[in-house]
Amino acid sequence: MTAVEPRAAGTMQELLRRLDDLNGIQVRGAPAGDTVTVSVPPGELEAAVHRLAGPGGARLADMFAADGDAATLRLVWGIDGGAAAGPRYLITESVLDGQQYPALSDIAPAAFVEECEIYEQFAIRPATAKPLNRLMLPPHGAAELPRLGHQPARPAEEVHALRTVGGQAFEFPFGPVRQAGVETLYYGIVTSGEEIVDLYLFTWHKHRGVEWRLRGRTPREAAFFVERAEGLSAVALGWAFAAAAEAAAGTGPPPPAARTRAVALELERLYNHAAAIAGLCQATGLTVGQSAAEIALERLLRLNAAVFGHRYLFGVVEPGGTRREPDGEALRRGLPGAYGELCRATDALLRTNSFLDRLEATGILTAEQVRRLGLVGPVARAAGLAVDARQASSSGDGQPQGNPYAGCPVRVATGDGGDVLARFRVMLAEAAESVRLIGDLLDAGTGAGVAALDTGGAVRSGLGWAESPRGEALAWVALDGSGRITRARLRPASARNWRGFDDACRSQNVFTDIPIIEASFWLTVAGMAR
Amino acid sequence: MSREDLTMTPNGNVGPAGGPGPASSAEGGRTPASGTGDVARELRQRIAGQFGRSLHIRTLDTGSCAVCEQEIRLLAAPHYDLHRLGFFFTPAPRHADLLLVTGPMIRAMDVAARKTYEAMPGPKVVVATGACALGGIYPEDPFVHGDAGKVLPVDVWIPGCPPSPLALLHGLLVAVGRLAEKTPGLTFLADGETR
Ligand code: SF4
Repeated sequence: MTAVEPRAAGTMQELLRRLDDLNGIQVRGAPAGDTVTVSVPPGELEAAVHRLAGPGGARLADMFAADGDAATLRLVWGIDGGAAAGPRYLITESVLDGQQYPALSDIAPAAFVEECEIYEQFAIRPATAKPLNRLMLPPHGAAELPRLGHQPARPAEEVHALRTVGGQAFEFPFGPVRQAGVETLYYGIVTSGEEIVDLYLFTWHKHRGVEWRLRGRTPREAAFFVERAEGLSAVALGWAFAAAAEAAAGTGPPPPAARTRAVALELERLYNHAAAIAGLCQATGLTVGQSAAEIALERLLRLNAAVFGHRYLFGVVEPGGTRREPDGEALRRGLPGAYGELCRATDALLRTNSFLDRLEATGILTAEQVRRLGLVGPVARAAGLAVDARQASSSGDGQPQGNPYAGCPVRVATGDGGDVLARFRVMLAEAAESVRLIGDLLDAGTGAGVAALDTGGAVRSGLGWAESPRGEALAWVALDGSGRITRARLRPASARNWRGFDDACRSQNVFTDIPIIEASFWLTVAGMAR
Repeated sequence: MSREDLTMTPNGNVGPAGGPGPASSAEGGRTPASGTGDVARELRQRIAGQFGRSLHIRTLDTGSCAVCEQEIRLLAAPHYDLHRLGFFFTPAPRHADLLLVTGPMIRAMDVAARKTYEAMPGPKVVVATGACALGGIYPEDPFVHGDAGKVLPVDVWIPGCPPSPLALLHGLLVAVGRLAEKTPGLTFLADGETR
């Protein structure tokens, strides 16, 4: 286990230079801000993606479309070089001149899931014969469901594992209603009886059309649904969304309010990591460890309620800042005990060889796989990639003091095994780091305060992000002249990391490894399906 | 926290209009101040009397945000320890007496929800869990029914976003009462056992 400083990577300047000689490129966005937006004509998009995704380049963090007179395709590129690399996100914006765009997933495989999603919602597809999978809209009655854009002429294909499995392999359906107390999810497992040959997921059972619901609302109204898109990341996703709206309005929360958000975010990480560890114990059949971790989890949730008035921290973040102030005294008093409880559990687990042996070499994802699929969070860090959105937290006004972590830098924990054990160790290191950060943030001074969101009658857009317990959460918001949402894109970490789940399950794993791997990813279906 | 505070009402009284609205439901997850002692004792007695110490719960997620599930899982954790009360979670609907439904009843789940309910042997009770299932979060629209009662015959409603584990225990207590009403002629006692 090592806590390393973020590795130097390509800087914004260097990335922009790569695009220099393409035709019709236009750089927009305040140079002091955290985000730079570049207009790329559709004819140059393929070349631009080649260059940005090339060696030493950026990470494709998201891709989405918006409808208007013509459809616009936006790609969000993360620059993971820490503060030294300059602005943190590059957005390429292409106004399409038809219903097609270059097949980007051939260049950046991370784009495939979004290609499917964009086809389903907007009837825009990559210029390739590749079948696009069903993602969000159920097979029955999909034609009547509202979409963000137009209905495609041909329905999406059903996701299925390769039909040409050799030998004795067969397909084992599992779900959508699974064991008690877990979310609805359908697994198709192709197995030869023990080893997992292939695995695919249906998540459309839980699609609630959250992005569709946000249209026409003000950011304040929308925040209610955003928190409930993935309740286990209510703070992170709420913050990313709030920051996006703030960026659109060119404002940011007062610094004490920004630190309040960060305190809530670290509390969210603590309880989620405790829950994931309890999940790992349950999946490995270690009832004593599970109970010990659940005692810590319950204490952390009660601490949340004592400090912010809600066990899951709903309602803490709001666009413009926060109206709640943490009860600092209750937090300082309660945190050592609750965290101590977690340490007691994890110290015992670290001495339990039968537990550690079960995690070791299970669900391996190599750094190369993580990079190719654009995975984030503990899953990426356990494979050695220091991706952490806290390294430069978003602030709409582009002022460095808008980042509450600027005064107390985050030591990013990474591992190198890429297996469940490495993820477990990363979670332990992050929990310790969260406790340290909470102390520093309280020392720096927290408070309430909400900045007014006023776009001054102009049409504006902005990007926001926060590091959720399961990885980088992103949101992009476009507001019309009256300050209402015309398009909001939510991309919780779950929407990213499920695409690495089948790879992690396939590599030399057996049936009983699946729950262990699922606990180590600690994703939600709610966040994926939205 | 008293039972009255939880305002559990029988089927029909809490609809989209009467359910907890967005503003109030955001406060729903506060930690109860008191312990679980009294509720636990009453539950244990009722379950022992009615079901010979064994009542099986099946959960059904119809589009939750994943937080209600987390609270339900905590029912089995040491602080609440559902098992000592005679409740057990079961992965099989065919063994279940009680269905805990979370989420706003997404239409895509219609078939799965009905199949789950039908697979349960009678007598059975359905407990709508959390503001989503009560109609307090999502309005009825093309994606969701907006309320568990539109698809399943709900017996008990547990408000909260999420309902805390203690609120869930209170709700289960009410549900056990409803189950008893449905089975007046049966005692569910083991041979030789008295109430
Ligand atoms: S009731 Fe609240 S906590 Fe429960 S699933 Fe719905 S939004 Fe989530």
